[in-house]
Parts: sequence; C-alpha cells; structure tokens
Amino acid sequence: MIFFPLYLMMNPERLPKSVVCRLMKDLKRRGVDYADVRFERLLRESLVVENGQVKPVSLFETAGVGIRVLIRGSWGFASTPHLLPSFLKRAATQAIDLAKGCASINKKTIQLAPTPPAKATFRSPWQIDPFEVPLSKKLDYLLWAESTVRGPKPIKRVTAHMDFTKSAKFFASTEGSEIEQHIVESGAGLEVVAQQGNDVQARSYPNSHHGAMAQAGFEYVKQLDLVGGASRIQREVLQLLRAKPPKAGQTTLILDPTQMVMQLHESCGHPAELDRVLGQELSYAGGSFLTPERLGTFRYGSKQITIVADSTVPGGVGTFGYDDEGVLAQRVELVHEGMFTGYLSSRESAARLGLRGSSGAMRAEQWDVPPLVRMTNVNLEPGEATLEELMQDVKHGYLLSTNKSWSIDDRRLNFQFTTEIGWEIVNGTCGAVVNNPLYTGITHQFWQRCTGVTNRDTWRLWGVPNCAKGEPVQLMHVGHGAPYARFDGVTVAPAR
Amino acid sequence: MIGHARLLDELKKLVKRSPADATSVCADAERLRVSRFAYETIHQDLVQESLTVTIKVVANHRVGIAVTDTLDRTSLQRGLRAALEIARHAPPMKNLPPLPGPYEHITLQDHDEPTANAPAHHVVTSLKPLLRLCQGVGATLAGSWVASEEEMAVVNSNGVACYAASTVSGAKLVTMYRRLSGYASGVERHLSRLNLEELLERALTQCLSRHDPLMLPTGTYEVILEPEAVAELVTWLGYIAFGAKSFQERTSFLFGRIGEPVMARSMTITDEGNDPEGLRQPFDHEGVPKQRVTLIDRGAASGIVYDTTYGLLYGHPSTGHAQPPDQTDGPLPTHLFLAAGTKRRDELIRSCRRGLLIPRFHYVNGLLNPREALMTGLTREGAWLIEDGVPRRPVTTMRFTQSVLEAFQHVLGVSKERRLVADPAQDAGCAVMPTVHLAKFRFTGRSESA
Repeated sequence: MIFFPLYLMMNPERLPKSVVCRLMKDLKRRGVDYADVRFERLLRESLVVENGQVKPVSLFETAGVGIRVLIRGSWGFASTPHLLPSFLKRAATQAIDLAKGCASINKKTIQLAPTPPAKATFRSPWQIDPFEVPLSKKLDYLLWAESTVRGPKPIKRVTAHMDFTKSAKFFASTEGSEIEQHIVESGAGLEVVAQQGNDVQARSYPNSHHGAMAQAGFEYVKQLDLVGGASRIQREVLQLLRAKPPKAGQTTLILDPTQMVMQLHESCGHPAELDRVLGQELSYAGGSFLTPERLGTFRYGSKQITIVADSTVPGGVGTFGYDDEGVLAQRVELVHEGMFTGYLSSRESAARLGLRGSSGAMRAEQWDVPPLVRMTNVNLEPGEATLEELMQDVKHGYLLSTNKSWSIDDRRLNFQFTTEIGWEIVNGTCGAVVNNPLYTGITHQFWQRCTGVTNRDTWRLWGVPNCAKGEPVQLMHVGHGAPYARFDGVTVAPAR
Repeated sequence: MIGHARLLDELKKLVKRSPADATSVCADAERLRVSRFAYETIHQDLVQESLTVTIKVVANHRVGIAVTDTLDRTSLQRGLRAALEIARHAPPMKNLPPLPGPYEHITLQDHDEPTANAPAHHVVTSLKPLLRLCQGVGATLAGSWVASEEEMAVVNSNGVACYAASTVSGAKLVTMYRRLSGYASGVERHLSRLNLEELLERALTQCLSRHDPLMLPTGTYEVILEPEAVAELVTWLGYIAFGAKSFQERTSFLFGRIGEPVMARSMTITDEGNDPEGLRQPFDHEGVPKQRVTLIDRGAASGIVYDTTYGLLYGHPSTGHAQPPDQTDGPLPTHLFLAAGTKRRDELIRSCRRGLLIPRFHYVNGLLNPREALMTGLTREGAWLIEDGVPRRPVTTMRFTQSVLEAFQHVLGVSKERRLVADPAQDAGCAVMPTVHLAKFRFTGRSESA
C-alpha cells in the first residue's frame, strides 16, 4: 500500500492541494456548518555537540492532514498521516462524530467572527537553505565553537547546537480560503556549565533555552558568530564561580533583551491569550488576570510600555502570512502606553467577546492537533534612550541578562525569574559581576515601575522554541522582540 | 492499533535491510482522545493518532539518527537512508557501547480494549451527571478527559525485539465556587475504573466554602503536601539529580554524597518501571528491561539510573532508563515511587497545629540551584490553612522558594495511602506518591487567586 506519493516527500514545494480540496467538497456535502483542512509537511534537523562528541544528529519528518469541523456550534477534530480517500473519510467521520457528540451537551454554541476568504501564498525569506548546507560543515562549525569554551577545570559541560525547520502548509476552508505557506527557521547556540563545590553556574550564548532562532536560512547562524561568543561565556562562567550574589532588597533593575524575552512571554503574552481568559486552559496552564472588563480600562504598565503582537515582523518565529484558521497576519497592540488594549484571539474567542474580528493568533504545532490561541511575536516597542542614558541616574541597581529559571502563578500575576548573570550598577556605571540573581514581583505593579526603555538600535528579536500549551501539549515557536528596560523598586534577592 | 505482529515485523525488516554495523529502531504509537471542557461547554474534542519511528545506525563508530512518522516502506527506507547519511558525515565517537540484547518480550497486560475504543459519546455521557451535580451546589466545572492507547516497540540488530501495548485514561477537574476553586485528578489503566464522581467530590470539598480566601503573610510554614504536590517536587528531583548525566556533570546533588544522609529516614525514593501500581513500561527505548533502582534509601543518597552509554562510562549495566535516541537529557527515571509511611492522611492533618494543606503545585522550576535542589513554585486551587488539626480557611496563592533537600530533611509524617499521579495527555511517566507532612517550607511571595 502506498501512503504518500514519493514525489510529495522529495519535492517540498509540491502540496496535495487537489486532495485537500476534494476533502473540503466532501465535508460540505456531509452538512458541516464550517470546516477547515490543513495539510502540513514538516522537516526538522537538530544537531548537538557536547564535550567534543557529536550527540544525536537527528532528522525528523512528518506530514499529514488535520480536519476541524463545526456542527451545531460545536467543534470536532481528527487527523491522519495518510492521504488515501479511505483514511481521509475515516478521519472526517471521526471529527464529525465528535462534534455531534459535543453539540448534544453544549449550552453555548460557538460562533465565528467573520474573516474574508483568502487565496494566497506566503514564503518566509531565506538566503541559504539550511538543509542544503553539508552536514559536515555544520558539525565542524559546532565542534570548533564548542572546543573554544572547553579547557578550564571547573567547566563540566559545553554544548553547542543548531536547529532547523522547514514547513509547507496548505489550508482550505468551507468559506473558500486556499492558503499555501512555506516557512524556514534556523537557530544555534552554546551553553557552558561549570561547577565548583556546591556552586553550579551556567552561561549561554547568544541566548539561553535555544532562544537564538529566526525565520531565516543558514545565513542567520553565520551572523550569530558562535566562535566569537565562546570566549566571552567561558570568561563569564568562571567569573560567576568567584562572584557574589546581589544584595536582597528593593532596587533598580535593568533587564537586557535576552531576559526581556521571558518577562514578556510569561507576564504579557500568556495572560493576553483570550482562550485562557475564557477558561479554556483552566485544567492545565491556568487562567488570566486580564479579564474582559479590564480591556481598555486597566493600567497594565507605565506610559513607557507599548507591547504589540506582531505576526508581520520580518524574521520572527511567530511570523506568517495567515494563521491556522485563515486569518491574515496582523499587528495588534496588547498594551498601549501602559493601558491594556488588546488580546491575542481566534475567530471563536473574538466572537464570544464581541470583538470586531480575530487578531489572527490561531496556531497549531503541526497537522495532527487543532490550532489554539498562541503568541505570535509579542514585542516591547523601543523607546528613545540609549543604554548609557538608562543607567546614568541609577545610584544602585543591577543589570540582568539571560534567563535561567522562570515561574509565574496560574493567573499570571506573581512571577519570579533568575538570570544567568548580572552586573552591579553603582552611580550609573556597570561594575562587578553578580551570580544567582533573582527578582520577583506582581505583573502589573512591575510593569508600572518601568521608568525607561532603550531605542530601536538596541532592540533585538529572539525566539522561544518550546512554549507549552494545550492538552495534548503543543510546543510552539514564538517570537519576542525587546530593547533594554529599567524598572525601579523591584524586589531582588540571591537565589538560595 | 497497529499490533505487535505488524509493528515488530516492519521494524525487523528495516533492521535486516540496514547495511550499518549496528541498527536499532524504536517505535512509539499512540491513539489519543482528549476532551476539554469549561463552563458547560466542551470546547475541544479530538482524536490524535501519532507514530514516531526513530532509527539509529552505527557505522564505523559513527552514529546517525533519523525520525519518521509512518510505517510505510518508502518512509522507513528514507529514514534509514537519512540516518546512514548522517552517520557518514558524523565524526567517530569514542566509547560507543554495544547494542543491548538479545531480549524478546511481548506484552499486552496493561491493554484494555474498551478504553482503547471508547465511543465518541463516552465523555458526553460521563460529563452530564457531573455538570448536574455542580449546578446543584452552585459551582462551575472545567477540566479535561483523556483515553489513550499506546504501543512501544524496539528492535535491534543484536537480537532485541520487544513490544508492549497499554491503555490509560485520566481526568482533571477544576471546580469553581465564588472566589474559590478546587482540583482533583485521576489516572487508571481501565476507563471503567476512572471514578469521576469521586474526583468531583474531592475537588468540590476544596472549594465549597462560605469563607473568602485568606491572604497569609510570607514566611515558613508547616505543610501537608498531597500526592500531586509531592509528585511535582520528586519529579523535578528526578530530572535534576537522579539521572547519570547530571551526576557526571556534577550538578546532581547526589554527586559526592552517595551513602550520605540527604533526607529524613522516612524518605525512600525508587524508580520502578515494572510495578503495576504505576504506569509500568517493561523496557526502555534501547530495549533494555526496566530495573528497580533505589535512588534514596531511608534518607541516604543511594543510586542513579543509567542507559548503555552512561553505563559504559561508569562500568555499570544499564538500568533500563534510556530516553528516545534523539533526546539529549541522558537516562532519566520516569516511574518514581516514594515509600508509604505509617499514618493515615487524616492523622497527618489532625497532627498539624498550624500549617498549609496543599493539593498541588503550579509552575515549579527546579533550575535555581540544582546542587541544593533549590526550587520555586506556587500553590494553586484548593490550598487551605490548617489550625489545630482542622482545615479552617482557604488561602490565596502563595509562592515558595525552597531547597527541597532541606524540606525533605524535616519530615513529620508520610501517609500510608499512595496515589498514582500522571498526566496522560502529556509526556509519558508517572509517580506513585503518599501525602507528606513537612515541618518547614519557606513561602516567599503571594498572589490574589485561590
């Protein structure tokens, strides 16, 4: 039995549009109120080098079809990796049966905010296809970068990695949309772990948690200059073993763009997801303090703070042409000059709240799961100050960089982060390295204490490759762009 | 269900076709039904069928791995070619262990047909009485329900050919009443044994109160941690300390302390992949049978888990804890057991003069300082203040920042009763945990919800 025609897998440009369109006609004939079908092919390559050894180099490929139907105001979803008509029909029947079952119990019927049907193609830009770069070249580069960090006795592990994905999607809906999208992502980084006695320190370059990633080709990896960064993190991790922790108390903090990633992610991106607000994540990730009555009236932060969800920003891993229910990519202000002004939403959740339309944030990890409201690129807009100007009137404080640990409560209010490294600021000058810095606060109080944001030149776009949400859990790539930002009166302590 | 005959046959054929010096293939197949509901609406109902076939080849001391997602011959062959191509370009590896084997094993002992084929309307039928009960007391309900069927097979060129099929069902219920919420979860191999009414009663007990939640000052409290809360902490210990990789990197708190007391004598932690009280899994992703490993023995640091790679490094046989070959975390314990104590849960509560009863934790992070097992996290639904042996008032969310090693050195009691804790909609793994009464637990922050 042949499941996938070989040509489909060998030529990533080819998509089974006719199969999807035939299925769409069949779903219409079976009386669904609405349906969408998403074919996706995903190729992922992951390379890891650790302590001079090549760890698993893996290539992952998957392809299949997800079918989502709406019947009498209730959803059903099923999927199949097989494109033969019998498999597609079986999956469609499963989705229909599930939707009908739900319709028999649901008191609220789901409505969809309108969106114009689209026939379009989106391609993310890239110069060098990372899958065309010889494996040996990629591994040689990782081994070189990794070996630059090793040597000093306290260093127990050095890891270097590269990650690449290439996806091709075709979306069709009963409303007439037919959307083709081709996206390439590349990322790379280094991590060093050092230990002395009971002290364990880590440094990453250029960001932790595989955060250096972009919608781009291999040229992005070259720009990261891992070898150049290697000596810096070697020096810093050894400094951290000798350093002292910060003094406990309330003080001024400056967060660099690498730590702002996690601050934005946890305390703005997640609480602004409208499905959470409506209770749909209560059994897993939790709810949100950004409840509907606060929309437009709640002071989330100081006037310095404008945060957008922007799926159009070039290079972001939350960028696309259309989301996974066919809504056009857009830039939405979540916070405007400190006021809470918008949600990340879907057609369903936007209709529930009576909003004008979806903000285009429905994304699925891959073809076998339904889309959820997800972050796109949730970015803090730059201000006008330089970093020197931000620091110059700080009598005492800390500059913190690179997230180490993260935690926030189930309404997204009480957060606590540690970073890999910090520097003490005394009278406007950055001085000694501090280790194990921890800071904590309540989301809106913290953002209201923001007293400065640096300019466009310092703004940097990063990614989070493992944003977990949903049951079954879906890991999404989301983007975060930020400059440096200053916060006064923040509770800082040593992590111990 | 693919079935052992076809799954093993396809993997054996692939291994036979491989020109590599050594080939190992593992397959994980799953059919997952997940329904999620909130406020009288099922907002997601899905069936997900997935298959992951991971092909590992060794050629001239070089390793290549490729992962594909169907069993059709073309796809498997392409995966094999990709793995060989990767190996051809990879540098040679020192200290490569030989493939394990021979070992043949087929089991369906934990597979339940009605769970595997739960009809589409099952969740609707089950949910209706729960909604009625909630409406009757003025509460609202959210949660999820899961039924899954899993198959795992490993075949290698050294005579391993093993297969296990199993089912699991589970539910999580969050009940809300005024400003309070409650939580309960349950997991069973057989759907028919999943008692949703009992779960609902447990969740409602936590939130049906006339009292508004208290906001307590931060500080050190006695705590009684229920099995879900204990499981969260012990699972983190497993991740940061009980695997050979963290031990080798010296970030594990067990490094340099084997044989020394690190917790109270009442704490014995084991990993038991073959115990039917947990979600047993008879072999790992290399096809090595699971061994029982004592990690903490009456409070003393005792052991770690190995796969063949780390086993070779330490001169220790694999304990059957290999992760899929494309993972980089090294061997990890995934079936953690904390030994039962001598008191009943209710006795532990009665013996607490002033403390917190905590059903589960939220967003725990154990990366703050792994050598001290310093962790942070928060209480969530259903936390209550105990006074004079009685849960008196619900409390708002509190954040702890605490060395779990230190906390587990001051154990006032461990319950006789244990509960299986797992989340079948997420990754594999489980914990079988009692309720634990700790003398000191440091809370460093607080929030509004309860």
